Amino acid sequence: MHAGIIFFLVILGSILFHIFTPWYWTDIASNWKGMDDTITLTFWVGGGVFVAVCLFMIYCVFKYSYKEDRKAEYKPEDKKLEKILTVATTLGVAALLAPGLIIWNQYVNVPKNSIEIDVMAWQWGWQYRLPGNDGKLGTTKVVNINDDNPFGINLDDPFGRDDVMVQSDIINLENNRPVKILLRSVDVLHNWYVPQFRAKMDAVPGVVTYYWFEPNKVGEYEVLCAEYCGVGHYAMRGGVEVQDPNSYQEWLGEQETFSDLLAKQNKEIETKKVAKNNSNIEKVIYKEEK
Amino acid sequence: MSDEYENKSGYQAQSSEALTGSAGSTPDMDYVRPAELPEQDLYHGHTFLTKWVFCQDAKVIGVQYFLTAVFTGIVGLILSWLMRLQLGFPGLAGFITAEHYYQFVTMHGMIMVVYFLTALFLGGFGNYLIPLMVGARDMVFPYVNMLSFWMFFVAVAILMASFFVPGGPTGAGWTLYPPQTILEGTPGSGMGILLMLISLALFVIGFTMGGLNYMITVLQARTRGMTLMRMPLTVWGIFTATVLAMLAFPALLVSAIMMTLDKVIGTSFFMPTILKAGEVLEYGGGSPILFQHLFWFFGHPEVYIVALPAFGIVSDLISVHARKNIFGYRMMVWAIVGIGALSFFVWAHHMYVSGMNPWFGFFFATTTLIIAVPTAMKVYNWILTLWRGNIRINTVMLWCLGFIVTFVNGGITGIFLGNVSVDVPLSDTYFVVAHFHMVMGIAPVMVIMGAVYHWFPLITGRLLNETLGKWHFWATFLGAYSIYFPMHYLGFIGVPRRYYEMYDSPYMTSAVGMNEFISLAAFLVGAAQFILIFNIIKTLKTGKPAPKNPWKANSLEWHTSTQPPEHGNFGERLPVVHRWPYDFSVPGAKDDFIPQTTPPSEVVHTKVEKT
Amino acid sequence: MSDPKIDGFELKPGFRGMASDTGSDQTMFKGVHWGKAMMWIFLLSDTFVFSCFLIAYMKGRGSTPVEWPNPSEVFALEAFGVPVPLLLIALMTFVLITSSGTMALAVKYGYEKNRKMCGWLVLATAVGGLTFVGMQAYEWSKLIHEGVRPWENPFGAAQFGSFFFMITGFHGTHVSIGVIFLFIYAYKVFAGHYENGGKRGWFTTMKGDYVEIEILGLYWHFVDLVWVFIFAFFYLW
Repeated sequence: MHAGIIFFLVILGSILFHIFTPWYWTDIASNWKGMDDTITLTFWVGGGVFVAVCLFMIYCVFKYSYKEDRKAEYKPEDKKLEKILTVATTLGVAALLAPGLIIWNQYVNVPKNSIEIDVMAWQWGWQYRLPGNDGKLGTTKVVNINDDNPFGINLDDPFGRDDVMVQSDIINLENNRPVKILLRSVDVLHNWYVPQFRAKMDAVPGVVTYYWFEPNKVGEYEVLCAEYCGVGHYAMRGGVEVQDPNSYQEWLGEQETFSDLLAKQNKEIETKKVAKNNSNIEKVIYKEEK
Repeated sequence: MSDEYENKSGYQAQSSEALTGSAGSTPDMDYVRPAELPEQDLYHGHTFLTKWVFCQDAKVIGVQYFLTAVFTGIVGLILSWLMRLQLGFPGLAGFITAEHYYQFVTMHGMIMVVYFLTALFLGGFGNYLIPLMVGARDMVFPYVNMLSFWMFFVAVAILMASFFVPGGPTGAGWTLYPPQTILEGTPGSGMGILLMLISLALFVIGFTMGGLNYMITVLQARTRGMTLMRMPLTVWGIFTATVLAMLAFPALLVSAIMMTLDKVIGTSFFMPTILKAGEVLEYGGGSPILFQHLFWFFGHPEVYIVALPAFGIVSDLISVHARKNIFGYRMMVWAIVGIGALSFFVWAHHMYVSGMNPWFGFFFATTTLIIAVPTAMKVYNWILTLWRGNIRINTVMLWCLGFIVTFVNGGITGIFLGNVSVDVPLSDTYFVVAHFHMVMGIAPVMVIMGAVYHWFPLITGRLLNETLGKWHFWATFLGAYSIYFPMHYLGFIGVPRRYYEMYDSPYMTSAVGMNEFISLAAFLVGAAQFILIFNIIKTLKTGKPAPKNPWKANSLEWHTSTQPPEHGNFGERLPVVHRWPYDFSVPGAKDDFIPQTTPPSEVVHTKVEKT
Repeated sequence: MSDPKIDGFELKPGFRGMASDTGSDQTMFKGVHWGKAMMWIFLLSDTFVFSCFLIAYMKGRGSTPVEWPNPSEVFALEAFGVPVPLLLIALMTFVLITSSGTMALAVKYGYEKNRKMCGWLVLATAVGGLTFVGMQAYEWSKLIHEGVRPWENPFGAAQFGSFFFMITGFHGTHVSIGVIFLFIYAYKVFAGHYENGGKRGWFTTMKGDYVEIEILGLYWHFVDLVWVFIFAFFYLW
């Protein structure tokens, strides 16, 4: 008897916990409302089954607990009942699967008008690259990466010259404009994840993975690494700032392009050549670099 | 040496009782085919070493497996305490650095999944119960069986040794994803990971030896009358899990070999070009995702290697203690086999956001949700077994009820994670942690505990204390449920798993209170296990002796010549089986149970439906 | 070899026979020795090991950014001053398949209780296996001499060396273990361990029987079959 009551309280507690919980998902800030809806649907169907099964079990515990003079029913099989249950379960599962697959289909098909963003991950940080005026990202190679070429852009690729480089772990996005996140990693697995956008994908060294979303709420969000990447995993944070188009364009105009960087470097190389002749100037440059 | 063999050669005579029936029955009624095989020769140890250490008796080997697995389980439990200490009260224990935390996470995961649950169910319960339940004198290859345990023992020793090498054990996460597993920046990327891989390889080899035994014993060494469809579901569960293990462990072995080569001699199977600290490493051209495919081709069946024996055992426990036949036996068997077969076609549901070709998502989401159907059927059948039963609410039954609650809960959250686009926001968050702990941590442990209380009288001849057992159950069940049920909501918030410290994000600060609560519950659950240890010690010293067949069960392990059974299990003559093991409360029968060995002529006036 | 006779049980042919075996008590595979059933299941498991290796190889070969070397050039052998592609491999394959033949004959003579013939044929199989391992050692040393290493490869993708040495090495280990057992069993046959009711062996409490030669034969044929796949995947692709 006590057992049945405690089990009942556990189920009741679970339901109450769900109703009154202060811990629930963050306000969504992207187009993936469908994912939340599917979760909600699965929650009600699944939660309903859970409660029903447990309550039936508790009923049995109350009704049929041991009595010396009672004899249990002897019924090895009930083909009809089993058939009904199988069909009902199959239908229920199919009903949950269908919306899941429909949304996945949207997830893997990126809209044409989306802007591509190259997200480069390493242990333990992020940086971003946006296509320049030509709308295309230049190709890259891990072995090209050095201080002068932080993204490893292939120097002979004309598309790479006007790429906008954001050497910061914070990226700005334009509100209501779909973005295709192209993920790459130079060392181990990472995952660029913003809980408010719901979407995520691993960054795998050696290949470029992608996903897309459309931010629809202006604000600042935190980026988390969601794939274990070594001892600094928990500290591998970044940021996203979703802006209205005007502020976004303003921000974009302030960013450095690859050719800007190359030009600056050439200048530095020349200055350094001069500097070699004069140790005093060298010291000044050293200070500037600091 | 020949005197150490007890020769029982020659075919067994056809049972004479077959010819004498009660009034009104024809002699044919009890006919069972004569024995196909001669009696098995058994090696009886005489010295302490051959009797208790290098023993060839499956029952002793089972207990050895059990105790070794429980030892690793206690290590895993302590590691989980240390993790919860850090998560609930960060900074309280200053010695837990991020490196240590990740090492605890990794070792906890690997120990609990492979060295605790797998070894306990297949090595422990498999060895003890299979020969007894199918009516064999022993496993078919006792010597290989003994080697299997010692190989496992060496694997555990090597695993434990990795705690003491420079750099400590590996901290790569139990999935050991390359490239980080073998690179600097991951704790224990030197000796730690190497010992882990060697230990896993030895475990696979050791398990293969044991697994061959379990399979051949079930297939080729059953007693007279024991058809496949008369086997207890425990045997079906362990057997199917063994088949899965025999086919899934090869993938683990292969990935361990390849990763060892990557680590030791610098091949690049899983290693692409890598830039680390400004320098390009000497790797290149490998595929990290290949490892994930190999790992999960092992890893997903592994989940069912743990789950299927639990399904089987819990079916038997529920049936015995509800005094009712298991509902839909045939369905249960086919569900076990079907789940086992399907489990080889769902592995990539662990990889929806791994960067594999996204089109795989459609296929694997569909197969994954198909598995939900036979699993749901099993749940229905368990509760339908309770329905109109005569349920003894004792400790064993409480564990079974606890199993149903936690398993259904964890199974439902599995539908979230298996459904590809629902998985996207939830994967790599605490929702996943909560899900798999509920479904393959707590639920199987509930079954293990139930099985311990159920079979303890068989193994030791004494009954465990019921009051202590109930305290143990409620502390464990309520504690574990209050750890993992709220933890799902951490996942909804979006808290990623494997975070050493997580409170500086603005929207996560609300979870501080919950984490403290979860940690306190975790300490309680861990401590509650000492009630069982105390109960066992107390019972062994002063417990009341168990009567023969204390639960009034039908299956063969309770009908041995002595209790606990001796080496050779069944005394002079092997039992002859006439029915399935679930003839409880048959209308017209004197008792509410009819053992499997009872010939039809003795119960001719009852309405037995199935034989 | 011939259908075993089992009291009270009629072996039926075809699918119905299989169904009635499965539905019967005691054994699923009627008249099959425990050891033989064990070997079959072990080989099934081992098939998965090799499949994993070969699938990993296919995936690895398909995704390397560097060109895969041309096997007919890498594996060519000079004969009388002319480079003949795959000459050594053809010889190795021939030797291994021949040894499978002698093994099959050994099993036949074993069941006929022809101790001498059986023993000599097992010994011949062992020698064949040893020759194979020797030739493989020669091939390895040739490749190593040419600069191929598990971690690098002057002809192209480094993964070529990695997979080649790993998979042929793993197969070679299987062959070597087989050879060791063949020598042991040749001794056992000659020593008469399988005659007069049999002698108890190690690893088992069961008494020896010529069925053990068949079990060893199963293993040997499997190793042989795996070689055919490795041959096709490495040398012909």
